[in-house]
Amino acid sequence: MIFAGIDAGSRAIKVALWDARKKEILASGILDQGIEQEALARRLFENVLAEAKVTRDHVLKIVATGYGRNVVGFADTTITEITCHAYGVRHLVHDAMTIIEIGGQDSKLIRLNPKGAVQDFAMNDRCAAGTGCFLEMVSRRLGVGLAALGELAARSRKPAAISSMCAVFAETEIVGLLATGTLPEDIVAGVQAAIATRVTAMAGHTVTPPVVFTGGVAMIPGMAVALQNTLKCPVVTSPQPQFTGAIGAAILASRK
Amino acid sequence: MTTIVYSCPFVPAEWIAAHGVRPMRILPHAIGGAQPVGAAIGVCPYARAFVNEVCSASGGDRLATGLTADAVVVTTTCDQMRRTAERIAAAGCLPVFLMHVPTTWQTVTAQKIYISELKRLGRFLVRLGGQAPAKGKLADVMREQDSARAALRAARGHLSARQFSAALADFHRTGRTDCQSVLPQTGCQPVPLALVGGPLLPQHFDIFDRIEAAGGQVVLDATESGERTLPAPFDRRALNDDPFLTLADAYFGSIPDAFRRPNTMLYTWLKRELAAHGVRGIIFRHYVWCDTWRAEAQRMKEWAGLPLLLIEAGDEETINGHAASRIQSFLEMLK
Amino acid sequence: MNEVPQQLTLDEWDARYAALLSAGMREPGYGGPLRRHVIVDGDLRLGTLRFDNSPAALRLWNFLLSEEDRLHEARAAGRKIVGTMKDLGTVPVMAYSLPNVVAFYPDGAWWIPCVMQLRDGLFGIANSLGIDESFCPVRAMLGAFVTGAHFPVPDLLTCSVGATCDDFSAIAQRLAGLGYPIVWWEMPARREADFGERAVCLPGGLLVPREQVGFVKSELERVKEAVEDLAGAKLDPAALLAGIKAANEVRRRLAELRRLVFTARLCPLPALEMLIAEMLAIHFCSDRDETIAVLQELIVEVRKRIAAGQGLLSRDAVRVFWVNPVADLRVMNLLEECGGRVCGTDYMFCHALDEIPEDLPPMEALARMALADPMVGSAGERAERICRDVRLFNAEALVVSRIPGASHCATEGEIIRERVRVELGIPTLEIEVPPVCDAMLPTLRSRLDALIETARERRRLAGALICPTGPMGPTCPTGPSCPTNQSTGEATGVPTDRE
Repeated sequence: MIFAGIDAGSRAIKVALWDARKKEILASGILDQGIEQEALARRLFENVLAEAKVTRDHVLKIVATGYGRNVVGFADTTITEITCHAYGVRHLVHDAMTIIEIGGQDSKLIRLNPKGAVQDFAMNDRCAAGTGCFLEMVSRRLGVGLAALGELAARSRKPAAISSMCAVFAETEIVGLLATGTLPEDIVAGVQAAIATRVTAMAGHTVTPPVVFTGGVAMIPGMAVALQNTLKCPVVTSPQPQFTGAIGAAILASRK
Repeated sequence: MTTIVYSCPFVPAEWIAAHGVRPMRILPHAIGGAQPVGAAIGVCPYARAFVNEVCSASGGDRLATGLTADAVVVTTTCDQMRRTAERIAAAGCLPVFLMHVPTTWQTVTAQKIYISELKRLGRFLVRLGGQAPAKGKLADVMREQDSARAALRAARGHLSARQFSAALADFHRTGRTDCQSVLPQTGCQPVPLALVGGPLLPQHFDIFDRIEAAGGQVVLDATESGERTLPAPFDRRALNDDPFLTLADAYFGSIPDAFRRPNTMLYTWLKRELAAHGVRGIIFRHYVWCDTWRAEAQRMKEWAGLPLLLIEAGDEETINGHAASRIQSFLEMLK
Repeated sequence: MNEVPQQLTLDEWDARYAALLSAGMREPGYGGPLRRHVIVDGDLRLGTLRFDNSPAALRLWNFLLSEEDRLHEARAAGRKIVGTMKDLGTVPVMAYSLPNVVAFYPDGAWWIPCVMQLRDGLFGIANSLGIDESFCPVRAMLGAFVTGAHFPVPDLLTCSVGATCDDFSAIAQRLAGLGYPIVWWEMPARREADFGERAVCLPGGLLVPREQVGFVKSELERVKEAVEDLAGAKLDPAALLAGIKAANEVRRRLAELRRLVFTARLCPLPALEMLIAEMLAIHFCSDRDETIAVLQELIVEVRKRIAAGQGLLSRDAVRVFWVNPVADLRVMNLLEECGGRVCGTDYMFCHALDEIPEDLPPMEALARMALADPMVGSAGERAERICRDVRLFNAEALVVSRIPGASHCATEGEIIRERVRVELGIPTLEIEVPPVCDAMLPTLRSRLDALIETARERRRLAGALICPTGPMGPTCPTGPSCPTNQSTGEATGVPTDRE
């Protein structure tokens, strides 16, 4: 019994196939997002089917999620990424109670109840300053790859204070910091701290551990540490952080 | 007939009407362009829409509603709106009356200020050609409006949330109380929700549709555009004795709002109404740059004991995809 | 010892302090090296600032930075503490007229994140309470109440609301929601008298309806009762009048200090110290008598410098009028680094710089003074006073400093700048200053540089001699009335040197 989840995110499309009997992921795939989103999703879906050596007929149901979920016309239904990430993370980290998901264009904080259902959530989707977009900008400005940001930030002794609420103005600040000779590691550390602050501001007073970090930005070294430092509690990076939305969608597809 | 346009629920329509002047409480339409107030950091989209609509006059002071207006009343219930008075006056399009609605409400001085401001408004209306009303006339107008509001409240049960909001908006703008629509039957039981916050712009009424499409239903509209800001029914005996004081008491003394200090009346009202309507979740909506409501979000979340979804509204023409996703996620969580 | 006026870094002040001590400098009990505030209190920002090098300035800084200590001492001594929120100079006058009562301004916590360079964690607490960076930095006050790590929780909290500030009102309401009771008092939106209404004149010259003053007076009576209950004593009119007179001692000194500094040919006291000095008018930094002494010492120093023809800045520093206080003190240094000098200010409480009438019943006088608050009326009225003061101090440029998140800043800056442009034709600039502006310094510097350049170019085109140094030239546009050419050092109602 095979079910599929398609996470049509703002930056990438992810697909996961879920074997409901074995309760395991059969295959997954990722493709950069583009203009013809449905065609891209279909192509990726077919690639993942081929990798799993199954056909479309084997898939009983498809759930689409993510920013572009309504564009995936061949999906049977859509469910928002809040619910999907909750299910996906809970499958991979069985005792997760708080989920922080930072994607390219938004960030989310999801609280789960002891049964793993969503109890509460908050989102930042108006401002790029709490998202992966901000890190991409820093990476570009400093001429450092995203994968190298964590190592750079770890060398910082005095993270720069980034005050702007808006990523556009924050870029101006970064230019200013560079002009005054601020060390790149301090800038990166400051940006990571600013993102962590914005994300944890969604948390209110406290978070219930275990806190699991997922989403594309979770793959960037250093961000989990920045979140940990701000939240003052351990933060675990989810396995397969890019796929938790798609995995959750596939699991939800298997539910009645 | 001389027409006064305003947006604040603390301005009694009865008082204006009793002077022989037409009251028109509007929900402004957001008008594109930058005159006289452009979109800027810190400027509330609602205040901006109000100023721009009022000042969109071109020969004849036609508002986006198509009706004419002869003057504007602005109140001090928030900084953003208070400062629109200066903008409107500077634009020179309509005479402006800035009415101070006290933020405090439990003291004798606050009540005196409100009454004094009503009287001052009366003098303003007379200067515009109105006539100071006799006690009997004021009482008649008040009974009429009170009955109209009662009819609207009674119609709530067979109107959808959007229809009810639209009916209220129409009533405030025109005085009409046509509520003929019937609530469409739905197959499944929607999740009862409360919508809490400041005023809605008309183009944001589709939030009701989005909520219903996601499986919810607004059973309590606690926005400024909704039932929250209807004054309490008049004490009919007191109305006969002293209509003016009864009017002041009903408006100043019974409308709960976040701007009041302390704003305990809002929470008392919400506690009662949330329970009475069996609300299971709150959608808390505020404008970007609205300090008054933004500050209540976390507090309300902690206080309510119910799931609460925060929606920020900006200058968008309609409810945007992000907000729609949030609503859908919220209903998924509640179902 | 080198007595040439100059600005020193904190490191340089260490050496200067040692030298002053050796030379016999005497200090009040709260005196000491500036460095100790960094070491003991974590006031890291001091390490990035430049300070005036006079003992008077040292006293001013130590006075400001030891306020929390004074408040804790007051608490330990059993004195009652009133937190007068959103109150720029009214209730403190009452409080200080009563025995054993100290008033302070919790809103002043807005500078803690700057002074401690965000190590205080106060914004994080505000965030957790839902008061995020879309609000004014005064949200730090919430964190200060929660941690109790700065000032003692007052015995009584008062807060003015109404035509004041939505940000602060919301933050105060949040505080009340946390369990801190507040005595709210109403401030009506100031307006002109209608035809037929009796009008009265406020300090500063505005005319308002008699009725409005009556409302404010009623509210202040209510606050007075609350303060009396706290103090366990009645505040009789004679005591309040004495308090008003003492407050006026502060105001007169401030007025004199401003007049001396803003009209001097060479800048005798930097903008940063002037900002701090002005802030003393609000609540006397929790010690009214000491405020008078601190200001007097500053006046003496300034007079001495003027008489000696000494100044800290370049002779051709551009005279800038500054509107709104800055969240990061560093910016006041920055203006001077760019070639400007502050000649005129509106830090949102000009009414607290005007004298409270002493020929009126005291509560009436306080009510009139409170209603003169520039923030209670329109931005246009505020702009009028600004224009008047720009002329008075012969400012050549104007800066409006936005406070991030402050609701009034969204619209008033444009109104003020437009009025100044139309009436005075001087260049204007609007900037936004966050609590720690290090990352923004290059941007801010560019903007200020551009303003200074523009002002200098205007001078050149007007054909004026380099202004304001030297004697008046034939092409000086201001002429004999130019205050910079008047002899300075004459006091008006302020005692002369007490040396």
